[in-house]
Amino acid sequence: MGSFMANLILASVRMASPLIFLSLAELYSQRAGLVNIGIEGIAAIGSLTGFLISLITGNPFLGVLAGALAGIAVNMIFAYATISLCAEQIVYGMAINIFAPALAAFIYRVYFGSGSELVQAGLMGTLKSMLGIKSNNFLVNLFLDQTPMVYLAYILIILTAIYFTRTKSGLNYKAVGEYPKAAATLGINVIGIKYLSCVICGALAGIGGAYLTTCYSKTYVDGNVAGRGFIALAAVIFGRWSSAGVLIACLFFGFCDALQIRLQLVNNTLPYQFFQMIPYVATIVVLALIGAKKAGPKSSGQPYRKEER
Amino acid sequence: MNRKLIAMVVTGAMIASMAPTFTAHADDTRTVAMICDSSISDGGWGMACYNAMIDAAEKTGWETMYSDSIAQSAYYDTIVSYCDLDVDMIYAPGNQYTDAVLQAAEEYPDIAFALLNGGADTPEKAVNGNVSSLLPNATQIGWIAGALAGLMSESGTIAFIGGMELDTTLAKYAGYGEAAAFVAEENGKTISVLDPVYSGDFSASDKGLEFAKAMMDQGADVFFGDASAVDSGARQAIDEANEANGAIKVYDIAQPADLLGQNDCVIGSQVTDNSVLIELSMKAVEEGTFGGETLYGTLQNGVLSAGELNKDVVPEDVQAKYAEYIQQMVDGTFMGGAAETEAE
Amino acid sequence: MKNKDFGALVIVPVLSIIVSFLIGCIIIAALGASPADAMRYLWKGAFGNVRNLGTTFSRSTPLIFTTLCACFAYRCGVFNLGGEGQFIIGSILACYIATKSPLTGVPAILLCAVAGAAGGGLWAAIAGLLKVYRGQNEMIITIMLNYVATLLMGVVYTNWLRDGSVPQTVAVPDQTRLPSFLGLRATIAFPVAIIAGIVIFYFLFYTSPGFQLRAVGLNMTAAKVNGFNVKRYLLMSFVVSGAIAGLGGALELLGTQLRLINGFGAGYGFDGVAMALIASLHPLAGILVAIFFAALRVGSTTMQTATGVPTSVSDIIQALVIVFTVAGMAMVKLPEFKSRFARKARMEA
Repeated sequence: MGSFMANLILASVRMASPLIFLSLAELYSQRAGLVNIGIEGIAAIGSLTGFLISLITGNPFLGVLAGALAGIAVNMIFAYATISLCAEQIVYGMAINIFAPALAAFIYRVYFGSGSELVQAGLMGTLKSMLGIKSNNFLVNLFLDQTPMVYLAYILIILTAIYFTRTKSGLNYKAVGEYPKAAATLGINVIGIKYLSCVICGALAGIGGAYLTTCYSKTYVDGNVAGRGFIALAAVIFGRWSSAGVLIACLFFGFCDALQIRLQLVNNTLPYQFFQMIPYVATIVVLALIGAKKAGPKSSGQPYRKEER
Repeated sequence: MNRKLIAMVVTGAMIASMAPTFTAHADDTRTVAMICDSSISDGGWGMACYNAMIDAAEKTGWETMYSDSIAQSAYYDTIVSYCDLDVDMIYAPGNQYTDAVLQAAEEYPDIAFALLNGGADTPEKAVNGNVSSLLPNATQIGWIAGALAGLMSESGTIAFIGGMELDTTLAKYAGYGEAAAFVAEENGKTISVLDPVYSGDFSASDKGLEFAKAMMDQGADVFFGDASAVDSGARQAIDEANEANGAIKVYDIAQPADLLGQNDCVIGSQVTDNSVLIELSMKAVEEGTFGGETLYGTLQNGVLSAGELNKDVVPEDVQAKYAEYIQQMVDGTFMGGAAETEAE
Repeated sequence: MKNKDFGALVIVPVLSIIVSFLIGCIIIAALGASPADAMRYLWKGAFGNVRNLGTTFSRSTPLIFTTLCACFAYRCGVFNLGGEGQFIIGSILACYIATKSPLTGVPAILLCAVAGAAGGGLWAAIAGLLKVYRGQNEMIITIMLNYVATLLMGVVYTNWLRDGSVPQTVAVPDQTRLPSFLGLRATIAFPVAIIAGIVIFYFLFYTSPGFQLRAVGLNMTAAKVNGFNVKRYLLMSFVVSGAIAGLGGALELLGTQLRLINGFGAGYGFDGVAMALIASLHPLAGILVAIFFAALRVGSTTMQTATGVPTSVSDIIQALVIVFTVAGMAMVKLPEFKSRFARKARMEA
């Protein structure tokens, strides 16, 4: 049973990692007042780009970098439409969710033509393998048997917390999401910060997608983001727009997912789909329980127009 | 914004130019068209079915066409648009196409429809008698993998990962378990098979990875599966575990093509050569005898076989024993000549 | 003013479609195929003969329902992204009634339709109640409910209503199937969908509750000030939009699919949202847009089989239409903004 718990925890952390990137992407976007439900799509492009570049160069780190750049490129469409054209954010996020995966599927299809070989790219090594440690101790596995991207995820959580609560720039950034007009009168470049938020969001969502193909699974399949972008959206709300909260939410979802897989193995009387429902039902139940104290950025989802004075 | 998009598209187009050009088929030769809901490069089912068609076509000189990754709502439309192009045969690998095939077969009586893994009773449902079922024997498939699992398992626990709860999947699982238990007992071991798990699809390799990790935690040391890309995820997890242990201690038996060498953990493959069945169907079309029958694929007629074993991992005496069991299966004496249940 | 608006609402989507097709042609040319051939087969596949036309209508029917579902909800300011889940729940109930109840024929069809609508409405009501009483974000709840509904359907076709050896439900009996529409492949679900669109159009634009519902959607605060029961309208918009999708699911099952199977209904919810937006949330325009997209899909199948150009090219074209239209709509609204804002400010003051 001890090993069951240990493996459950390891699996939870493993499954939470891509969610952390995607949730942070959403957090940065919403903190600047932009609700971006398109990160599911951005992650799809990031995932494909990461896979292709990692395959071509043989370097997963370049894959992640390329995933970030691709994420930024796609999110700039969202940025231009929602910030400059004041398009409805939810609507445009939807558009990105339809456009980006179609593009990813198309590029994959065209690049690999009608070849029918399974293409596998190399994965990023873990710190444990880089250091050549052989121990299989639980703590060693938990803290050392992780790819550099996992450490990056947790470092980003800490940096984000510091940025939003301890720095002047972070407070300005938050002000854009709360009271953009007031922020503008204080001399804050509201439009600039909104674009910046889209760059950060695109990069993180692209990395989150690339994580799936450079650190998690060796193969790319269409639809491999599998709703993680939407779970991330829920994680931001669940985590009450704070980076610590987001981390807890991601670990919670990772845990639910890891648990349902193990429950399927133990129980064979209930149809397996009921276990697969666990992460989604848990999301609904948790959100229903915590209710909505208006903790989100106040101008979230609303277009900002300079002329609006 | 338009400019940005165009730039992206042009980039895509440049990538595209590396790909082979697509061509329409000429009219003077016979043509077979395959439809598939998964990708033909999934390293599993789609790939094996596509390659089988290519192999059969090479032998018979037919031309091939295919559409893959098609949505459920487009099965019928895709089949019909091939029918409108006057192809000679539609090749639909999977029983999920049964409804679409039967409907199209009714509307196009002159076209042959080969349904792989369809029901044994499907051909008689076709009013025009132009549908044949190609049915690899799922129990024998399970046996081929199970005998090797029974010989190789040291922990006494073996695992099976399924894609969907198809009856063929259940039959493979049953055959796998009974063969492993039988072989183990003959060699003084006991084997238990973990309950089957299902990913619910054939594409989520990350689910395969997590399943395999969880099942290894439960002591499983031989894996067999029926889930295409999901299996490749499982193999990745097994490779990682072996690497961490510094030795190949957990094994995977691949299917439906010989995948030896694709991953280190693959010790052997259960091979289903559907090209034999497709070739038979093509010949029948050429001779005008196609339709209304169920063609079974078995060890006896060469559709099923055991692939190469990994000689570095499987000891020589085990190789010999395994070959013996496979011979017994071919001779019909395996497990004391247990009645071969015809699984659908 | 009104006319100018209308012009933009038509011109922008049409321009977007033209540009998207041009890009599609460039891609096709880059693939080494002839764009002219591809376009010809695309057209032929969608409208080339009576049967293909029927197929296009048939494929458009579920899309029309989910488009109407999105139109209705968004008119009330509710982001119901759960059309897919509601569609599926409707089809599950219809499947039970069609295969398990002693009823057959018209009574069974009517009961299926009512149950499908009720089921879709109740499924959406979960999200509605959570939004109205717990202040929850309806987008996330409806998306999560989509996953739950899809998995529930999985239980139904792999376990509860399984058809022997195959993970699919037993087929709807012959007597309970929807009759064909004018002898085409489309069933009477197609005219029903169009009638539903007309009814919704009439309700939204020519009745007092419809006006109040739109008022809530345009400005919730102002509606509250005016004494409208905002909560009731929000809930109603969830339930009615869910019912529309649920009805669509029931009719799709009885008319076209005849059984639940893996992949049933996948993507229809989000498709509906996108199409509703291209149609500027106008129900009648939504019908046209849904038919247009169905034609693209049906046609692209023929295009792929005949020319080898993959259907993903058509997916890209569809996605580009959405990307361009939504951006374009926002753009044409920009210069008018000032006057509009002034008007709203006056109203609020």
